[in-house]
Amino acid sequence: MQSHPTRRTRTVRATAGLAGLAGAIALVAAGCSSSSGDTTDPSPSASGGATHVDVTLTSAGGGDACQVSTSSVPAGPVTFTVTNKDSAAITEVELLSGDRIVGEKENLAPGLAPVSFTVTLGGGKYQVYCPGAQTDTTDLTVTGEAATPTGGVQDVLAQGTKTYGTYVDGQVADMVTAVKALQAAVDSGDLEAAQKAYADARPFYEKVESDVEGFVLPGSDPTDNKGNLDYLIDMRASNLDPAVGWHGFHAVERDLFEKKAITGSTKKLAAELTKNVDQLSSLAKGLSYKPEDLANGAAGLLEEVQANKIKGEEEKYSHLDLVDFAANVEGAEQAFANLEPGLEQIDPDLTKQVATQFANVKTTLKDYEDPSALGGYKTWTPELRKADAAKLSQAIQALQQPLSKIAEKVATAQ
Amino acid sequence: MTTEPRPDDVSAPASEAAAGTSPGAPASGRFSRRAFLGAGLGGLAVGALGGAGGTAWARSDGSGSASAAASESPETAYAFYDQVHQAGIQTPQQHHAIFVSYDLTTTDASDLQVLLARWSAAISELQRGQSLGAVQPSHANAVPTDTGEAADLGPNGLTVTIGLGPGVFDHRFGLAEHKPAKFADLPQLPSDQLEKSLTGGDLSLQACAEDPQVAYHAIRDLSRMAQGTAVVRWTVMGFGRASAGKGQTTPRNLMGFKDGTRNIKDDADFQRFVWHDGVDQAWMKGGTYQVARKIQMHIENWDTDYIGDQQNVFGRSKQEGAPLSGTRELDVPDFARKGADGDPAIPATSHVALAAHENNGGLKILRRSYNFTDGMNADGQINAGLLFIAYMNDPAAFVTLQTKLGRVDRLNEYIAHVGSGVFAVPPAPVSGSYVGEALFR
Repeated sequence: MQSHPTRRTRTVRATAGLAGLAGAIALVAAGCSSSSGDTTDPSPSASGGATHVDVTLTSAGGGDACQVSTSSVPAGPVTFTVTNKDSAAITEVELLSGDRIVGEKENLAPGLAPVSFTVTLGGGKYQVYCPGAQTDTTDLTVTGEAATPTGGVQDVLAQGTKTYGTYVDGQVADMVTAVKALQAAVDSGDLEAAQKAYADARPFYEKVESDVEGFVLPGSDPTDNKGNLDYLIDMRASNLDPAVGWHGFHAVERDLFEKKAITGSTKKLAAELTKNVDQLSSLAKGLSYKPEDLANGAAGLLEEVQANKIKGEEEKYSHLDLVDFAANVEGAEQAFANLEPGLEQIDPDLTKQVATQFANVKTTLKDYEDPSALGGYKTWTPELRKADAAKLSQAIQALQQPLSKIAEKVATAQ
Repeated sequence: MTTEPRPDDVSAPASEAAAGTSPGAPASGRFSRRAFLGAGLGGLAVGALGGAGGTAWARSDGSGSASAAASESPETAYAFYDQVHQAGIQTPQQHHAIFVSYDLTTTDASDLQVLLARWSAAISELQRGQSLGAVQPSHANAVPTDTGEAADLGPNGLTVTIGLGPGVFDHRFGLAEHKPAKFADLPQLPSDQLEKSLTGGDLSLQACAEDPQVAYHAIRDLSRMAQGTAVVRWTVMGFGRASAGKGQTTPRNLMGFKDGTRNIKDDADFQRFVWHDGVDQAWMKGGTYQVARKIQMHIENWDTDYIGDQQNVFGRSKQEGAPLSGTRELDVPDFARKGADGDPAIPATSHVALAAHENNGGLKILRRSYNFTDGMNADGQINAGLLFIAYMNDPAAFVTLQTKLGRVDRLNEYIAHVGSGVFAVPPAPVSGSYVGEALFR
C-alpha cells in the first residue's frame, strides 16, 4: 500500500514502531491515501472500495477542535484519516457506536504524519469522539443496511473468558496436586525433597492469584484473617496478622529454608495448607469471568510482581521470587492471550504494544533461567536484586502501561 | 537513590488554590486546572514577563499589581509553541525544579519522534495548567490518563525544557549527520567524582515551577508517557533556586552564600553566550546547550569551617555577598586590590576569582541552579548540595571553566561533582510541530 517507501524523509504513523498491521481493522499507512485532496470536498469520497472520512484536529482560538469532513457515509468499508494539525490537547480519536469502541487512534500529537484506520460499518448512528476537544463528539450517520448483529467482538471476547476459566480451573487443580506432593515430602522428613516440592508447588497460585484471592471460608467474617483463604494460603512475614499467626506456603517456606528443619509444626502447617487449597479449589471451580476481569486480573498480577517479587519480599527465605515472577507473568499473559482475538478487533495498536512488551519481559526473564536451580530460575539474592531489580522493574513498567488500558476497551465492547 | 522521582521526595506546601475537586466535579473529560482557579477571579491579563524567554500570561486579580514577583503567581503560565526559545532558560527562574535524565530503550527513530511529539503536546498543555486528559474517567474500568496530583493547582509558572543527549546522534537513530560538531559527552574534568548511575543520558527534562507539586506532576506524567521508549537514568529534585535571574533578589546556596550575583541577565549576553546561531546545524538556531551537574556538598565539614575561610573560599562576604575587594553585593570585584597583608583581597584560588569572566577571556555562562537534598547518605552524612544547571552556546565554555575550577578552586575541599550530563536544547517548536522535529525531516 505504501507508495513512497521511507527514504531520507521520515514520515511515521503516530504509533509507528508500536503498531501492528493485523486484525480485522486494516490500518492504512500514512501518505498512501489517494484522498489527500478530498478535504475540500464536503461529501465523503470513495476510492479503492472504501469511503474516506477526514478527521482534522486543530487548536482554535476558543479551544481545540475536532472536525469531521462529513456527517454521513454509506455502509461498507470506511477509512478514517486523522490529521493532528496543531491540537496539543487531543491525543486520541475514537469511533463509537453508543458506548462501544469501533475503531480508534491514539498517540496523536502535532507534527506527526496523519494516521488512518479502516472499519466496515453497517447502517446506523455512530459518533466520532475526540476527548479534549471543545465539542468532543460529532455524530456520523451511516446510511444503508444495518450490520447483521453477528455478536462479533463480544462473542470472541466471551469465548476467551471461557477458555481462560478453564485455564484457571486447571491451575487450581494442579496446585492441589502439587501441594499434596509438598505435604508428602514434608511428612517424609526429607528436607531437600521438601524444598524442591515447595518450589514446584509455588507457581500455580501465583498464576491465578488475582482470580482466587477473594475467598473467605464459608460463614466467616471478611474482616477477620482467620477465615481469609488468601491469608491462610499465601500470607507473608510482611503482612503477618499477629492475631492469626503464621499459616500457608510461607510458613512452610520459613521452616524449610530458614530454620532448615522439618518439625511436627511444619507437618501440621503443610497438612493445613492442603486442606485450605482443597477448600479454595471447590470454591473457585467453574467461576465465570467478564472480559474486564481478565484485563484487571492481568494488571493485578503485574502489580504483584512490582510490589512483592522485585523487592524479594514474597520468598523471603527461599529467594524463589523469580519463580513467582515468571508465574505472575505467565498468568497475566494467559489472560491477555484470551482477550487478544477480541482486542485485536477493537484496538490493534494496543494489542501489538502489549504483545511486544510481553515478549520483551519474557526475553528479559530468559536470562535468569537456571535449570539447576530450584524452580528453574536463579535465586533472587540481595546481590542479584541490587544489580538487576531496576532492569526487571522497568521491563514490567513498560508492560503495565499499555496493559492497564485494556480493561476499559473490552468492558465497553460489551 | 535517585533513579526515579519519588513521591516522598516531594513536600508540597498546602494548596493555595482553595477550589478543590468536589464530588460533584465533572466525572469525565479534562480537568482544567485553571478552571478551578478561575472561579471568582478576574479575566486573563496578558503581559510579557519573560522577555525573549517567552510570553507569560498572568491572570490579574483586578488590582493591577504587576510587580516583579508577578512571575511567581500561581496563575502565571508560559506559552510553549511559537516562541523563539524553549521556556525554562531565560524565563524568570522559578523556585522549584526537577531535573531528569533518560536512557532511550528503543532503537527505532520513529519511537523517538512519537515521544518528542507527545512530550511537546503534553508540555504545552501542562504549561497552560491543563491536565493531560481525564483525571477521573467516566468508565469504571478506565485508567486515568492524568495522575491528578496537580488537578487543582494553577500553572504556577511551569516550564518543561527538553534536551537531547549525545546518544541521540549515535548509530541507533540515523541522526549522526545532524550532530553539532561541538557536541559530545563532557570529558573527564579535574576533581570529577562522577557516579555512573548519575551521569549521562539520551534525553533530559528540566521542569521548573513555583509549586514543587506542579513540577513533580509534570515529570511524573511525562515519564509515564515515555514508558516503553525511555527509562529514567538519574534525577534530582531542586527545592530552592540558587541562581539569580534578571530582577530577582540573589538567592543563597546551601553553603549560605549568595549565588548568581553576576549571572547572565541581559539580552545582549544571552545572544552572545547562550543562544546558538545555527551556523553549524541549522536546527539548533535559537537553541542552546544544557550542562547539568549534581554537586555534593560536604555539609558537616563546611558547617565547622570558620567564617574567614568560608569567605576566602568564595571570595565574597557571607552576609552581604560583597566581593572581598568591596562592600556591596553588586560592587564589581577588583582582583588587583590588595588586602592589609599585601595579598589580593579576593584570593586568586577563590571560587569567584577563578570563575569571573574578567579572568577567563570574557567567558560567561547562564547558571540556573537549584539546591537539593536527598536525606542522609550511607555514610551517615547529609546528602545535599547544588543541582547546577547551566546554559551556553558551546559546551566548551563549561569545560574551560570547570577545568580551571576543578584544579585549584578552594571550594573543592567542600564539594564533589558526582553527577553530570550535557544536552542539546532545540529551539521552541512552531505550532503544529514539536521539539526536535527538524531532525527528522
